[in-house]
Amino acid sequence: MFSFFKNITGQRELTTDALDPVLSDMKEHLIKKNVASDIAEHLCQSVRTSLLGKKIGNWGRVSTMVRDSMEAALKRILTPKTSLDILRDVEQAKAERRPYVISFIGVNGVGKSTNLSKVCFWLLQNNYKVLIAACDTFRSGAVEQLRVHARNLRALQTSGQGSVELFERGYGKDSAGIAKEAISFATSNHFDVVLIDTAGRMQDNEPLMRALAKLVAVNNPDKIIFVGEALVGNEAVDQLTKFNQSLKDFSGLQNPRHIDGIILTKFDTIDDKVGAALSMTYITGQPIYFVGTGQTYTDLKNLRVSHVVNRRRLC
Amino acid sequence: MVLADLGRKINSALIDLSKAPVVDEKVLDALLKDICAALLASDVNVMLVQRLRNNVKKSVNINEMGGGVNKKKIIQKAVMDELFELVDPGVEPYKPVKGRPNVFMMVGLQGAGKTTTCTKLAAHYQRKGWKVALVCADTFRAGAFDQLKQNATKAKIPYYGSYTENDPVSIALEGVDKFKADRFEIIIVDTSGRHKQETELFEEMKQISAAVQPDSTIFVMDGTIGQAAESQAKAFKEAADFGSIIMTKMDGHAKGGGAISAVAASQSPVVFIGTGEHMYDLDRFEPQSFVRKMLGMGDMRDLVEK
Ligand SMILES: Nc1nc2c(ncn2[C@@H]2O[C@H](COP(=O)(O)OP(=O)(O)OP(=O)(O)O)[C@@H](O)[C@H]2O)c(=O)[nH]1
Ligand SMILES: Nc1nc2c(ncn2[C@@H]2O[C@H](COP(=O)(O)OP(=O)(O)OP(=O)(O)O)[C@@H](O)[C@H]2O)c(=O)[nH]1
Ligand SMILES: [Mg+2]
Ligand SMILES: [Mg+2]
Repeated sequence: MFSFFKNITGQRELTTDALDPVLSDMKEHLIKKNVASDIAEHLCQSVRTSLLGKKIGNWGRVSTMVRDSMEAALKRILTPKTSLDILRDVEQAKAERRPYVISFIGVNGVGKSTNLSKVCFWLLQNNYKVLIAACDTFRSGAVEQLRVHARNLRALQTSGQGSVELFERGYGKDSAGIAKEAISFATSNHFDVVLIDTAGRMQDNEPLMRALAKLVAVNNPDKIIFVGEALVGNEAVDQLTKFNQSLKDFSGLQNPRHIDGIILTKFDTIDDKVGAALSMTYITGQPIYFVGTGQTYTDLKNLRVSHVVNRRRLC
Repeated sequence: MVLADLGRKINSALIDLSKAPVVDEKVLDALLKDICAALLASDVNVMLVQRLRNNVKKSVNINEMGGGVNKKKIIQKAVMDELFELVDPGVEPYKPVKGRPNVFMMVGLQGAGKTTTCTKLAAHYQRKGWKVALVCADTFRAGAFDQLKQNATKAKIPYYGSYTENDPVSIALEGVDKFKADRFEIIIVDTSGRHKQETELFEEMKQISAAVQPDSTIFVMDGTIGQAAESQAKAFKEAADFGSIIMTKMDGHAKGGGAISAVAASQSPVVFIGTGEHMYDLDRFEPQSFVRKMLGMGDMRDLVEK
């Protein structure tokens, strides 16, 4: 009877019964695309809350409403809230007669050193004078790896004002101290940018997380970039949460720092399973500055939100 | 290891089951929902989780069960069987033979931990008295040879590689031939990271494999990998026909479900897990005892007996 009346008015109300099966499919879809399961759950809950009790036209489809609402939510999360214009910030630092400092942090093997080198290539193209600070003093070959990159990048630099040097102090030393030395070397030698490479570390390894917090506290870089790989699954949540937490808890500072942005690497390895982009931005509320799409210096792109949020991918 | 965390969740779902006064379809669905959620949160492939759910429902068939049977016991067994199925393909990994050369080739995605694991594995066999050597056939990654060299030097393991030669196939072959001639028993070949979307690099991997004819190819996989695990593992299986898997970076918080999905996708067993960056951070992996431990079998037996 009741629904009959509703029918003549041309409106139905969205109920739990109508929404839940659609949302359950949606959640599974997101997980399949490698969104962390907790985040998929949260997103579906918030779509549910926003749609419950809403009116839907007789011919309207619940699935369409759910998808539209999800799409809007995903776009909101993925769209940067702050400017991504690093070059402008570099200019600003230049005006202040100091080098602009970026540190690259993250777990093991995600692509910190490689993508630091890609960022360096990009800065060289923009005619900056760059110092790479080899502050991974632990992993075998880490210093030589950067040496090769610096050499390659110099060889590629046939025109323009850009130049690159490597600041290295070998293995086994305190990375915070090396970063400090590098920054003062850069200041006195008029470098525009310092790129700090750090050792990979597991988010639960307290001594290593303390050392990282110290490096950040001592050197106060302009940008702290978390490098995360698009391959990572549910761990993305734990990694970002604990990196941020450690920067805060172990800094000994009144106003501790946090992750300022993300480089999402290995985007070329995951086909349509783009969920890590969402997990990482959701957890940090910080933007993806670049996406790594391969192993050469030009494989560094900007994230196109419309590319991630579309029918074949997230939604 | 945090795989135990998954075990705890599954176990507590099973304990809930044992507390339910009546075991009907609703109770079974609730149990499966909890277990599937735990598996998904551990990165087990979505399709595998669906299959597990369906298989348990099918094998339990609660509606046609008589009143006398112990439903709880049957459900628990069905869940256990499916979990075993997931981590144990029932395939024996390659066992090296004393007194003759055994060639291992490491393959995997970029940054998975191949180079680090090479030395760990070499050190493992060296400790057991084998004559072991390492070959660096990664001519691509910056600093790859230095990395292997430094690790090998620390572990006092002979190594072969080159700063100038850039053909990985010929280096691999030269290195393996040299160590074979010198009567080494275990020769481990490190290769560059690659992924299935890179056809040429996959071709290169096939060529290295054809040249050195490994007795065992090992797929090294990062324990934090998510839903991309299955398709990458399948592609590596097809191209390199690996015989076993080593799951790395299990010292963190990762639950390794992605790597478990790789087992199912490739029907190849996990033989070792990496638990740190140091040379000795390598543990043997036994799937059966893993599931048993994961589910806290002691508790399980109590449950079943009651
Ligand atoms: N396919 C692909 N590979 C990448 C990308 N970025 C980095 N890599 C590869 O990933 C591997 C690891 O990269 P590194 O830069 O050494 O990683 P890292 O985070 O510095 O590693 P650690 O310092 O050992 O923690 C290398 O083989 C890189 O070539 C990317 O965007 N796509
Ligand atoms: N915490 C931890 N780190 C590991 C483990 N295995 C490897 N790593 C680290 O992971 C990073 C990448 O390891 P590599 O051995 O260089 O990886 P790879 O597969 O050889 O990388 P490519 O040759 O660039 O493809 C390094 O920082 C290693 O120290 C592990 O079990 N635990
Ligand atoms: Mg590095
Ligand atoms: Mg390597």
